Amino acid sequence: MMEQPLLSVRHLSIGLSRQGTQLPVLNDVSFDVAPGEVLGVVGESGAGKSVAGAAIIDLLVPPLRRTAGEIALRGDRLDLMSPRQMHRVRGKRVGFIFQDPMTSLNPVLSIGKQLKDTMRTHLRLGSSELHGRALDWVTRVGLPNPERILKAAPHELSGGQRQRIVIALALCAEPEIVIADEPTTALDVSVQAQMLDLMRLLHKETGTAMVLITHDLGVVAKMADRVAVFYAGRLIEIASTRALFQSPRHPYTAGLIGATPAPDGQGGMQVVAIPGAMPGVDALPPGCAFHPRCPRAQADCRTVVPPLVVLGTGEAACLHPLPERTAA
Amino acid sequence: MKLEGVDVKAVSKTFGGKAGAFERLLGRTPRGLRAVRDVSFSISRGEVLGLVGESGCGKSTLARVIGGLLEPTGGDIAFRGVKPRLQMVFQDPFSSLNGRWRVDDIIAEPIRTHRLRPKGEVAGRVAELLEQVGLSPADGVKYPQAFSGGQRQRISIARALAGEPDFLILDEPTSALDVSVQAQILNLLRDLQSRLGLTSLFITHNLSVVRLMADRVGVMYLGELVELASADDIFTNPKHPYTRLLIDAAPDLDPIDRTLHPIPGELPDPSRPPSGCSFRTRCPYAQPLCAETPPPLRWEAAREVRCHFDLTPKSLSVPA
Repeated sequence: MMEQPLLSVRHLSIGLSRQGTQLPVLNDVSFDVAPGEVLGVVGESGAGKSVAGAAIIDLLVPPLRRTAGEIALRGDRLDLMSPRQMHRVRGKRVGFIFQDPMTSLNPVLSIGKQLKDTMRTHLRLGSSELHGRALDWVTRVGLPNPERILKAAPHELSGGQRQRIVIALALCAEPEIVIADEPTTALDVSVQAQMLDLMRLLHKETGTAMVLITHDLGVVAKMADRVAVFYAGRLIEIASTRALFQSPRHPYTAGLIGATPAPDGQGGMQVVAIPGAMPGVDALPPGCAFHPRCPRAQADCRTVVPPLVVLGTGEAACLHPLPERTAA
Repeated sequence: MKLEGVDVKAVSKTFGGKAGAFERLLGRTPRGLRAVRDVSFSISRGEVLGLVGESGCGKSTLARVIGGLLEPTGGDIAFRGVKPRLQMVFQDPFSSLNGRWRVDDIIAEPIRTHRLRPKGEVAGRVAELLEQVGLSPADGVKYPQAFSGGQRQRISIARALAGEPDFLILDEPTSALDVSVQAQILNLLRDLQSRLGLTSLFITHNLSVVRLMADRVGVMYLGELVELASADDIFTNPKHPYTRLLIDAAPDLDPIDRTLHPIPGELPDPSRPPSGCSFRTRCPYAQPLCAETPPPLRWEAAREVRCHFDLTPKSLSVPA
């Protein structure tokens, strides 16, 4: 179906060590990202979407630990690399953007120094060329007065300006893929749209693939080519963005879309709640983790963990999936 | 006597701006931050008034002024009828509940403080409230830490209802919650609203949420109320450029039309608002007049709008 994937994640499991036991934070997750593709990863807090992103770049912090799985970037096994080798992959081959720009920026170094250091480490450029490229990146992310910005410290910039610099830092070493974890969540709606617009523009220019992790369905509807939905540590549905929103097959995906307040087509607004709450990893029910909240649950859902299977154009992990809805 | 309405009259709130001993020595007066600037509106009995705006627009400061937690620098709040019993629900269900108290004591506290029930009936009333917000009376013996974010927000709502408020202020009550839990709390609030007919002020940055919850909506920008109209009018026929741009800026769930509509620029420093109209630095339709004269609040039927121009919806379509 897909040509050689750029990023391939196979049977990835992540455990949380607590009092000698391993709690499954992420359970047997597999997905691919094609070259130049934007894969949206959605789910509620605690669903495992952020740890999956952190595991790809080997940034899991104990007590979190990868317990199984293979991660390959163009066939190179990231999961077998030494910390030293991974250090060279991060930034150079895989860029990252986090929610809080201050975690990605060094508060005591000027913006110019941080951009130049990143490019010097990964691109082996001369210092005059470095300066030119740094100026170029500041302009490309839409900031006025690039010479002044290069001399500024992070705290002298506004939140929106800082997030633009974080995007420049993630892309300046020309990575093959960027992991963006809630890149616009801390921003106001007017600035969020600016940042998404910028990410889309740079994505078109550079062709860099992206894993876009967010809890905001609106963001993936506008940005992603395909969407992966996580629930209680498992990948429960993955499909093209259009198919996922028009015809969700997993009842949780449908529930998540229905829970977002939206116009009902008759001049009013509607919101349909999913009863209950997502279980914590220390209290997972047997069978399908969604069955206690699921309107379609039957007896077998309480005992069988549904595998991810091909359904129409996508894949879903559900024993009683919703029928395919044809476009109205 | 019952509460007939709430009138917010020309309320302003400035933080700082008073010279301390050091500034007096130097003969300086600090500028001060005008978080709320001359805001007026009324809430009628049984009405839900929504206030939307981005961070720094002054909506939460205004909520605290109306709730009596902050003194206004100018203007006043008048309650028609009686001085109301007022309760507030805040955004963060983790810091707004006392972790050393059991849930039934947290909920009983307003009942005991205001002596709303005889002693023997308090426990029964607490159990009733827990059920009303979708929790079990048996949950009363637990501590807040035993509950998830959504359940804690239910406890906050039960505590607010325990005070039998005639006026309820909700400040971002669902912003810290995941979407499936947010939907539960919004439905709970809508249900309580229709059963109890509460007069309330609902503050949020989320436009879909305010459209769902409010009868009328006020839009704030940089401390000012820039538009106020019925929820339907605000969303189907916005008159202020900021309202229109803000509605378009939030990405909807349509995967086919993927156009993004960012608002250019960033929020100006609230301690140095632009001359004239505060929105003019980001407004695609700004004219020379907008830099010179602050637009007055204009009335148009039941709508108020703070803009010099009468822009029709067509001329307000966002340039690509």
